[in-house]
Amino acid sequence: MPDRRDTVRQDVGLLVFLLLLVAVWQAVYSARLLPDYAFPSPLEVGRRLVELARDGSLGASARASLVRMALGFSLSAALGLLIGVTMGASRLASRLLKSVFLGVQTLPSVAWVPIALLLFGLSDAAVYFVIVMSSTSAMAIATADGIANVPPLYVRAARTLGVSGAAMGYRVVLPAALPQVVGGIKLGWTLGWHGVVSAELIKSSIGLGFLLYMGRELNDAAQVVGIMLVTIGIGLLVDRFVFGQIERSVRARWGLER
Amino acid sequence: MGARPANPKIRLEAATKTFDARGLRVDALGPVTLTADDGEFVVLVGPSGCGKTTLLNLVAGFEFPTTGRVLVDSGPVGGPGPDRVMIFQEPALFPWLTVRDNVCFGLRQHRHLDERERRGIAERHLALMHLEAFAGACVHELSGGMKQRVALARALAPEPRVLLCDEPFGSLDALTRERLYGELQEIHRQTHTTILFVTHNTREAACLADRVVVLTGRPARVKQVLPNDLPRPRDFYNPRIVELASRILDELKAELDVVGEGSHAG
Repeated sequence: MPDRRDTVRQDVGLLVFLLLLVAVWQAVYSARLLPDYAFPSPLEVGRRLVELARDGSLGASARASLVRMALGFSLSAALGLLIGVTMGASRLASRLLKSVFLGVQTLPSVAWVPIALLLFGLSDAAVYFVIVMSSTSAMAIATADGIANVPPLYVRAARTLGVSGAAMGYRVVLPAALPQVVGGIKLGWTLGWHGVVSAELIKSSIGLGFLLYMGRELNDAAQVVGIMLVTIGIGLLVDRFVFGQIERSVRARWGLER
Repeated sequence: MGARPANPKIRLEAATKTFDARGLRVDALGPVTLTADDGEFVVLVGPSGCGKTTLLNLVAGFEFPTTGRVLVDSGPVGGPGPDRVMIFQEPALFPWLTVRDNVCFGLRQHRHLDERERRGIAERHLALMHLEAFAGACVHELSGGMKQRVALARALAPEPRVLLCDEPFGSLDALTRERLYGELQEIHRQTHTTILFVTHNTREAACLADRVVVLTGRPARVKQVLPNDLPRPRDFYNPRIVELASRILDELKAELDVVGEGSHAG
């Protein structure tokens, strides 16, 4: 475990670096290198975000996106794990599905939006569809790979101790694959987050994607940049404090860290 | 050692094993006929790659003989089972479990035990290996020697009647190894488990075995059987151990010469 003081020092370092980035941003703005209707200053962005927060649209939108994500991602994770376990259990399923999922993964999440609209119209189901299609394959592949990479020696050791059949799956193979599965879920969350914002961009009347779209409609560059920053911020926070935390504790337990 | 009992614990009857590796036939085990009595400590030595591990795999039930038979308690081996636990060169502990839960692992198959009894048995076996202080530790916090001792405790907790050891001390340092010789002999004294132990370390063989079986190069056959009834517990530095080790080494060297000539002629 790293020293607490070390962590604090790293966090302070990061903060200084971010402030430096904002300073560069301000410098570029002040130098008038770009037209200011397309390139707002940090202050304008901050002011716009405060306005959006005051009138309640920022909070409501962030909440809407997160709720959609919670539902869509839960569905996606369940599907991804189920498919991944199937692929891990059957060589045939793995061979057939892996090429399909690798293909699906090359598609940007926004490319799922048109077909989602055709299939589900202007309902929230379209958003869930985009989330699932964006993130399921990454989790399925990570789970399948995690299972394929389980050291055969663990299985032999368990067999000699009398474990076989389904018990081998849940007592040995799944726990052994867990670090990779958790890594896949973490990646899946990021991809799903892309998906939800992409879908909202085109279809919806609330959500971070919707606020981005409205910013563009109203030629409000400060809103566009501000919402982008909020999207990144929420994505990073969940990644670090939810999935990152889980990943770290699993890796520490398995002795994979340090 | 007197007359052998009619029904040995383990019996190989002209067992052979042939592998088909990418269209290439590999004879791993020549016809081997071998017995181990109940409670006997049999050490198998042979040139590396001679098929010692294959022999253990047959008894463990991981593989089946191509011809001949492998019997445990007079019945053919049908697959792996907790009555014949194998330990490997790598400790193969499960990193997601604590030391205690690793030792409990095989006991979970024993449905008649409740959780408290399982823990009790696990702690008793950890104490036998002087590891009771590490019951709650994570696997990666242990040294190599400690891990192998946990592996031993895990293998012994379900009280198997046969313990199969595939060079379990091969990757440990000399000091740790010598300590484990003492502990393994003590366990054997207490449990009377039948042990089939594979090694290429002649001193190790001489120190541990009731009977040393020297195998030929691949495909392994029984070349020589050396009984060893030196009193236990044995000291690794006992001159008679050293003497027996050098006899084993002579047998092995003769075997290497034969293999060398054979390949020369072929």
